[in-house]
Amino acid sequence: MVNIQSLKEEARKCLQEGKVKYIIGYEKGADGWKANPAFIKKPEDVEKLIWDPTCFHNLARFLVDEKRRKAKEKQPDTRPVGVVVKGCDSRAVVILLQEKFIERNDVYILGLSCEKAGVVDERKLARKLDGKKPVKIELGEKDNFLVFTDDGKAEIPVREILAERCLECKANFPVISDVLFGEKTKREVLNPFQSIEKMESLAQEDKWNFWKQTLAKCIRCYACRSVCPMCYCDECVSDTINFAVTADTTAEEKAQKIKWLEKSPVLSENIFYNLVRAIHLAGRCIDCGECERACPVNIPLRLLNKKMEKEALKLFGYEAGFDPSQPSLISCFKDEDPQDFIR
Amino acid sequence: MDKILAKKDLSQWLKKLDSYDIYAPQKDEDQWTFSIVENSDAISLDYPNVVVPSKKVIFPQREFLLEFSQSNEKGYQIKEILPEEKSVIILGLRPCEGKAFSLMDRVFGGELKDPYYLKRREATTLISLSCSTPPSPHCFCLSVEGSPHSKEGLDVLLTDIGEKFYVESITEKGNRLIDQAKQVFHEPTSEERKKVEKIKSDAEKKIKREIKGLNNIPAKLKGMFDSPFWDEESMSCIRCGICTFLCPTCHCFDINDEVETSSPMLGKRVRTWDTCQFPDFTMHSSGHNPRPEKASRLRQRINHKFQYFVEVHQKYQCTGCGRCISLCPVGIDIIKVLEKVRDYGA
Amino acid sequence: MEPNLYLPKLAKITQIKEEVGGARPIKTFRTAFLNGDEFSHRCGQCAMLSAFGKGESMISISSSPLSRDFLQFSILKMGRVTSALHEMEEGAIIGIRGPYGNGFPLEKWKKKNIVFIGGGIGLAPIWSVLQTTLSKKEDYGELSLIYGARTSKDIVFKEELAELGKKMKVLLSIDVAEPDWKEFVGFVPQNVLDKKPSPENSIAITCGPPIMIKFVIKALKDLKFEDEQIYTTVENKMKCGIGKCGRCNIGRHYVCKDGPVYSWAELKNLPQEY
Repeated sequence: MVNIQSLKEEARKCLQEGKVKYIIGYEKGADGWKANPAFIKKPEDVEKLIWDPTCFHNLARFLVDEKRRKAKEKQPDTRPVGVVVKGCDSRAVVILLQEKFIERNDVYILGLSCEKAGVVDERKLARKLDGKKPVKIELGEKDNFLVFTDDGKAEIPVREILAERCLECKANFPVISDVLFGEKTKREVLNPFQSIEKMESLAQEDKWNFWKQTLAKCIRCYACRSVCPMCYCDECVSDTINFAVTADTTAEEKAQKIKWLEKSPVLSENIFYNLVRAIHLAGRCIDCGECERACPVNIPLRLLNKKMEKEALKLFGYEAGFDPSQPSLISCFKDEDPQDFIR
Repeated sequence: MDKILAKKDLSQWLKKLDSYDIYAPQKDEDQWTFSIVENSDAISLDYPNVVVPSKKVIFPQREFLLEFSQSNEKGYQIKEILPEEKSVIILGLRPCEGKAFSLMDRVFGGELKDPYYLKRREATTLISLSCSTPPSPHCFCLSVEGSPHSKEGLDVLLTDIGEKFYVESITEKGNRLIDQAKQVFHEPTSEERKKVEKIKSDAEKKIKREIKGLNNIPAKLKGMFDSPFWDEESMSCIRCGICTFLCPTCHCFDINDEVETSSPMLGKRVRTWDTCQFPDFTMHSSGHNPRPEKASRLRQRINHKFQYFVEVHQKYQCTGCGRCISLCPVGIDIIKVLEKVRDYGA
Repeated sequence: MEPNLYLPKLAKITQIKEEVGGARPIKTFRTAFLNGDEFSHRCGQCAMLSAFGKGESMISISSSPLSRDFLQFSILKMGRVTSALHEMEEGAIIGIRGPYGNGFPLEKWKKKNIVFIGGGIGLAPIWSVLQTTLSKKEDYGELSLIYGARTSKDIVFKEELAELGKKMKVLLSIDVAEPDWKEFVGFVPQNVLDKKPSPENSIAITCGPPIMIKFVIKALKDLKFEDEQIYTTVENKMKCGIGKCGRCNIGRHYVCKDGPVYSWAELKNLPQEY
């Protein structure tokens, strides 16, 4: 079990000693039952830190904001930022290190092991509770979640309301950390690609119809991109304006920037945006599932990213986010890479 | 006028209105969304709430403004593309969305008129379903001068009284719809009227969230413009567009030219939803950005809704529907932010 | 039927003059409507120019309302739309819709001295009011112009300024000394402090880069100009031009509709987000 008191003590010590600028962790949200990201600056505020099955967010995402903030400061504070990470989140930190977006001493990693559980899927939980609103959720004894509602308590087996990505999890404890809380219990995952098998079994035409129907719903709010730690490009392919504009950028450069897609949320542009994002994340996505959770119109984005993950593994034996010294998927090759697509 | 309509007769009423395109909440997998009704027998108004509000019917996420074309014979031509002549009904929207339309009417109307919005608004009749229970745990309509049975902006208000709807017609447009199917409506009894009163007052008591003391908020916000408060509050914002795209009162948009062929030039000028939360919203061509930081953009959203709009229209630009709270991926809660503003410095 | 405010009218570019070349070129365009769609405007108002296929850009009308046969726009090449306009030749067709915004309250300035203070392309928005007051010189007090640019090559309306110097005080400056330059060397706000215009019965109008405006206003305050005596035009990114799309929103105002002309007394009460 993760000892939340030990986490708070470690956090308090880091802040008191001035070892970190601030700590990114989880605190209880305004509605009282779900976690929210928290930015703890003062030692006494570590009491706000929580750890429960609603800690969905990939806090590595805020390391991107920190870097942007530092870039604007004239005399930046060079101390690291403390960040609380689950196993999946730690793989995101590995990618950021691998791509040299941050340095190892920019971050102080407080790792939490999910052990045999993980985070809940809100929709699965809502279906189980059949209209009742959850008030609190805890990990109980014996592979059960304890879900408290207004009028009682339910014990629900972990597997029934665990998020899909946790059921397929490849790293249920952090793969990199400065300090680790909880046990390094390995969890058996029989089929890490189960969620895409149904889609894979469909005929080509049915797959295409499914995606046409689904991506027509996209409202291009860009929540999926905004919540992803790996979507850190200052200028994204889907932006129609230059972002990286300085006083020296010529009018020609701005005028000649290619508009790859229109702002209109029509099917053709939505397909372009979502598929290109999946391709740009191939070999980089570590399946934290935040994009799918954030999507307000319930587009099953994990299907796209998981398929890319399977292809990377199948074709190139490549897995993202375990080794910060590994080269990125797209920018390296091995002599024994398959060549049967070259005709 | 007020009437009674048995729930089983709803489809009969709608069948008489077949010259209209009727939008109603329908379930698409596990989400409710406003879409055109194909089969009026299949409508159920027993739904929690839609994610994308009905503003998308009158203020679509994408619409054409005009077409420009160039030809050897005619030279350059501009052709206006107005919304097509079609009468529309939005059935089952919540009163907060009706209130949102009355707020948007002030923006798109006024001295300088937006013909696209106004044409659609004129052609649309709104039949709302009042809330007997709050559709969202984050509803706070009572705190922003709304109510679960508000009639603002609406044409007809339905109240669910069990097997029947209590039907209140508010405008001429509403009367016209009822007149087209007079025979399916009955006169309400005094018990039924009393039942409605009780349902409405009970509904108000069921709303759990509230913000007290909002009347000082505009002045408080004005004084907090340069405060570091906004840096703190916006730390977890990931600058997506969910809060504003899905807000029934938000109306910011972008205008772009979409080219079909460049030689000869043929294309359309298109308007799409936009949001003050995107970093590029206020960015000048020169790269100068009046709101470069997340803090300034969160401040803008709150200020626009609770200070600037109040200064111009004497109304909050918020209907308390709670969507921004329940859908924000990082849980930024506008009620909590406003409470902190209210108590700041105290 | 009310006119559709989003519909541009077709106009032809009748004259193009290169004011400034190089990396930051400025061209002055004169336009004539194709189908008799002329509108009359007030000094300070702007119009949305369409480069069809690229988009629209809100540009100040720099011609005086008294010039009935044409509209004049001076445009700095900055991005997608302005580059497209710069690539056009005389005879090209563009769209124009407007006029938008408020204008300078000339009627309140009768018999007052007017000091025009411009920097770079910022001379264009105040050019219309300068031309209008100059042609009705007897209605106003003393007219003077303090104008500067980065280098002598960046000065706009060069020939017109030479003509202007015969009718009113024209005090030029450039940022860094050049061999043949005989006038003031330094930034425009410094030139203002050097020339010390008197606030007595005066109005000061300034336009230029945001940083210049800030320091000019400070200089004018140091010279004891009251907030109500200082006017400027504000620039913001605009799309609809009629106060609906939200882009140019500052406080309770939309710059396209409630501005762009502001006195410092009004502007200082708005959030400084422009």
